[in-house]
Amino acid sequence: MKTSIKVIISIVFCFFIIILGVGIGSVNIPPSHILKILWSNILNRPLPVDIEANFVSIIWKIRLPRAILAFIVGGALAVSGSVMQSVLKNPLASSYTLGVSSGASVGAGLVMITGFSIPILGKFTLPFVGLLAGLLTVYLAIRFSAKIDKNMENNTIILVGMVFSLFINAMITLMTALSRENLQKLTFWQMGSFSLKEWSDVVVLFPIVVLCITILMKYSKELDIMTFGEEQAMAIGVDTKRVKWILLGLSAALTGSAIAFVGVIGFIDLISPHVVRKIFGASHKLVIPMSMIFGGAFMVVCDLIARTIIPLSELPVGAVTAIIGAPFFGYVYFSRRKVE
Amino acid sequence: MLELKNVFTGYGDIDIIKDISLNIGEGTNLCILGPNGCGKTTLLKAIAGILPIRGDILIDGISIKDMKRHEIAGKIAVMSQISNIYFSYTVFETVMLGRYLYMKNSIFKEPSQNDKAYVEKCLKATGLSSIRNKQIDTLSGGQLQRVFLARTLAQDPNIILLDEPTNHLDLRYQKELIDYLKEWSKEDRHAVIGVFHDINLAMDLADQVLVMEKGKAVSLGKPEEVIKDHTLNRVYEMDIVGYMVDSLEQWKKF
Repeated sequence: MKTSIKVIISIVFCFFIIILGVGIGSVNIPPSHILKILWSNILNRPLPVDIEANFVSIIWKIRLPRAILAFIVGGALAVSGSVMQSVLKNPLASSYTLGVSSGASVGAGLVMITGFSIPILGKFTLPFVGLLAGLLTVYLAIRFSAKIDKNMENNTIILVGMVFSLFINAMITLMTALSRENLQKLTFWQMGSFSLKEWSDVVVLFPIVVLCITILMKYSKELDIMTFGEEQAMAIGVDTKRVKWILLGLSAALTGSAIAFVGVIGFIDLISPHVVRKIFGASHKLVIPMSMIFGGAFMVVCDLIARTIIPLSELPVGAVTAIIGAPFFGYVYFSRRKVE
Repeated sequence: MLELKNVFTGYGDIDIIKDISLNIGEGTNLCILGPNGCGKTTLLKAIAGILPIRGDILIDGISIKDMKRHEIAGKIAVMSQISNIYFSYTVFETVMLGRYLYMKNSIFKEPSQNDKAYVEKCLKATGLSSIRNKQIDTLSGGQLQRVFLARTLAQDPNIILLDEPTNHLDLRYQKELIDYLKEWSKEDRHAVIGVFHDINLAMDLADQVLVMEKGKAVSLGKPEEVIKDHTLNRVYEMDIVGYMVDSLEQWKKF
């Protein structure tokens, strides 16, 4: 099948998933109504008479921002994962390899425990501090790698990332143990949730993710070359040290900003790039945008399952991504090995 | 064209290459010989600017230390040994990566018609045109080696560095590769520097031979000069000429 047709099918599929994510819930709303509501709200037209007024609130105020945020977060994590895998030349690397989630968890945990708030940021204090702590962790991990290994070899970066993650995870455990009244909040944050998310979250996160992904697209050729190894990339003319800093920094910014808003969600970043490579090949010109689409769609599905599978209750979305993602990843990875 | 002045290099604080100086002119085919671990590959990495050096390496009179990564890659291309392939590209995509330098200026680095035509030329030269759409993780070692050669050629360099380029090739392709390199190096401002284990192939390609031992250059000259001075026998700790003559006698029986 032609690549352009595959891309069109993927975009239509993604649109279909979002409509599904918006329509299904405690009150089921048919797709035709959803489209009419979107149409009238976006173009500021009067609402057709056959649509109940409470449908508009459910769609426009609750489900649509939630689904779009889930799509952006899933896409950001998947793109970040694909970049980490290529830069570190490791198919099992994820967007969390450098400790961004551990760092963000410590930052978010501190805000939860102390109740600290920056007046100008208000409710965005938690994601802001989480993002800063996540980026600081990655920065320290890369600086430390560069200090002990001037060439910043991938193995050094991965090992240092692991050491930092383990160390900071121990700090989170300590924080949780010493602040039992916040135990539930801290634990749930580390499992991720899209509950109570609003348009304001989308408005803040969207430009960050679009900016990071656009810059990453500009580096798609360097990413292709770096999958062949650093020495070959240098011989072809890539300034690997500088490019690696930029790519890892952008990847950390994507993951950090995404999880700062919704908590830690795993597996999307690991599996989406593999599925995309299987369908579209390894060229990052396609892997990056298609990871955004597939990761986003997968996250919307997982959130849909998380909030509907048990009536009047909501599961942590991180648990759903892992339950679906782990066997699915096993299937994709081992079926590929079997073919080889 | 290429000048090494008292070059030292290695990994960390340990010098693998110790005080090597040589001059490579236009049209030269230099083959580097020596036992395992003598520093042949490390020397190639130093010349390619991949490893930091003490001393100096001049390309067309300019120190490699003053050149940017892409400027070095515009002059010198490296055909590496085959390594693991983690993510699979098509043959065409892989060879196109060699045009990176020439795509650098466009925002999303799209190849121009000129780049595509150049890649087609390289595919044809290496006999890969018919498998241009195959995934590289489905290729044999020999085919993959040719893909990497095509990618090296696509870089349009003045100097090609080859690290054991015939490792995965059968006899026919070994001969074709050597013949191709001999032709290529005759073109204006071209030179080839190769590391070989197969002394026969090295002697076939080389008009200059560098023999290395423990990171040092122990002999440099025309192939016949190097064979006559018995350096090869000493560094390999065997009678190379005697072994070759014995082999030839065996073949003569058929």
